[in-house]
Amino acid sequence: MQEDNLIIYEDEIEKIDRALIKLIKGAEAKCALLVDKDGHLITRQGFTHSLDTTALAVLLAGSFASTREIARLVGEPEFSVLFHQGKRDHIHISLVGERSILVIIFDDRTTIGMVRLYAKECGEELASILVQALQGKKKSEPAIDSDFTASAEDRLNDIFKDEN
Amino acid sequence: MVSINYAFREICCKIVYYGPGLSGKTTNLIYIHKKAPSQTKGELISLATDADRTLYFDFLPLDIGQVQGFSTKFQLYTVPGQVYYNATRKLVLRGVDGLVFVADSQAAKLEENIESMHNLMENLEEYGYVLEELPMIMQYNKRDLEEVSSIEELERVLNPRGLLYFEAVAVKGVGIFDTLKCVSKLVLEKARGKSEPEEKKELVSVVAQPKVFVPPSARKEELELKSVPEKVSESEVLEERAEKELEKAESVDKVEEVEQVEQIKPIEKAEKVEKIEKMEEAERVEREEKIEEVEKLKEKTLIQSQSEIKRETLEAKKALEKEILEQPAEVATTEKTKHFLQEKIITSPMLKQKKTKSAWGGFLWRWIEKIAGRR
Repeated sequence: MQEDNLIIYEDEIEKIDRALIKLIKGAEAKCALLVDKDGHLITRQGFTHSLDTTALAVLLAGSFASTREIARLVGEPEFSVLFHQGKRDHIHISLVGERSILVIIFDDRTTIGMVRLYAKECGEELASILVQALQGKKKSEPAIDSDFTASAEDRLNDIFKDEN
Repeated sequence: MVSINYAFREICCKIVYYGPGLSGKTTNLIYIHKKAPSQTKGELISLATDADRTLYFDFLPLDIGQVQGFSTKFQLYTVPGQVYYNATRKLVLRGVDGLVFVADSQAAKLEENIESMHNLMENLEEYGYVLEELPMIMQYNKRDLEEVSSIEELERVLNPRGLLYFEAVAVKGVGIFDTLKCVSKLVLEKARGKSEPEEKKELVSVVAQPKVFVPPSARKEELELKSVPEKVSESEVLEERAEKELEKAESVDKVEEVEQVEQIKPIEKAEKVEKIEKMEEAERVEREEKIEEVEKLKEKTLIQSQSEIKRETLEAKKALEKEILEQPAEVATTEKTKHFLQEKIITSPMLKQKKTKSAWGGFLWRWIEKIAGRR
């Protein structure tokens, strides 16, 4: 495969969460999400309870991926910042490191300038955390063993047994 | 690339349904969404055209629940089947963990199936996937229709690697869950193989066969180039990166400038912050000064206004005095005019005649005559 599995540990998530909370407080944003480029949600902070964050992560990653293709067609290596403006809520999307996307949802209580400033600061911090995470990954224990696959198979059989 | 999140205790796998247009990829997802237990499925998201043709992708999250303390999730994607949507189709393949190739069994669609399979191979190679390592199964759909190709023929043309296959009728749900279960198992086995490399050999015997789709030679070279830095140790990678950066800096002046700017930026930031603080202080001082000035001005204006009021009152008083002084003169004039008028009235000949005693005498005389006449 092209890339290794994305494995994230609690202490990294804690660090990332702290950075996101600082960002939300500083920029007065509603919520912030860190999404993998493939559409996996890494973590989220702020008012996300009313949001379908799984779908949001997938669609934002898709949107970012298509924008990157557009950039390539235009002759840009990558558009590192994307901004969606709405009537009430706005979304600021920026690239973090090489494989993650920082998504900030905010409203008119704050300004795009503030969000951009804090997003840039936070992005640099997150990038360094993620690099450290990748470097320290090799020490990790395997999460999925043979017992895991066996019990996952049982779960699948249980769930879909009526449908066959 | 299976995502394992220890903080949320979550394992997430991406499964993509690939195949030619109108072969039933979206129908697969719709059926799974309809029939799966409500606690396992999420919302089905479809980025489709007005005519219900997939434009970008369909997405269905499936959560099979806790497995050994981990919430295990599958993300099912479909791709747009039409040939001219290759740009978006390729994007969906990024980070794929398992593939289902949905083939249209109709004899007339055989060419389209082959074309789609070739396209899949090309796109995967561009991403640098090793085909033998990617869990993949075949689904021969629309088996209920007439004039379908035989399974043998489809296997021969589309499945030279001898991957597992399922016959399906997607609209009726035949074979859909078998396909899903099988690909899920393969993906999880593959993920296990990643974390436990010793058991990998067993997996290969299950998943892949020795026959490989032969990629174009040029791309092979690219692949080799791409795969080199992955195997090299981290320090060497860092060195290479540094070298690359140097090369870039030498080759393009602009890049160097940009980098310099980027290096300078943090310092600039600090300077800016200081400047901003200084500016703020200056503003504060200015504000205080202004406030003092304003207060002084207010006081002045108060004094001025008071003096003005005094002046006004004085003027008003003077005016009143003048009026008072002038008033008797006016009165005098009116009295004079009255006298004048009275004089005039008195001296007028008409009034003189009326007011003469002879008139009264005449009146008396007429009255006497009236009385005498009655008698």
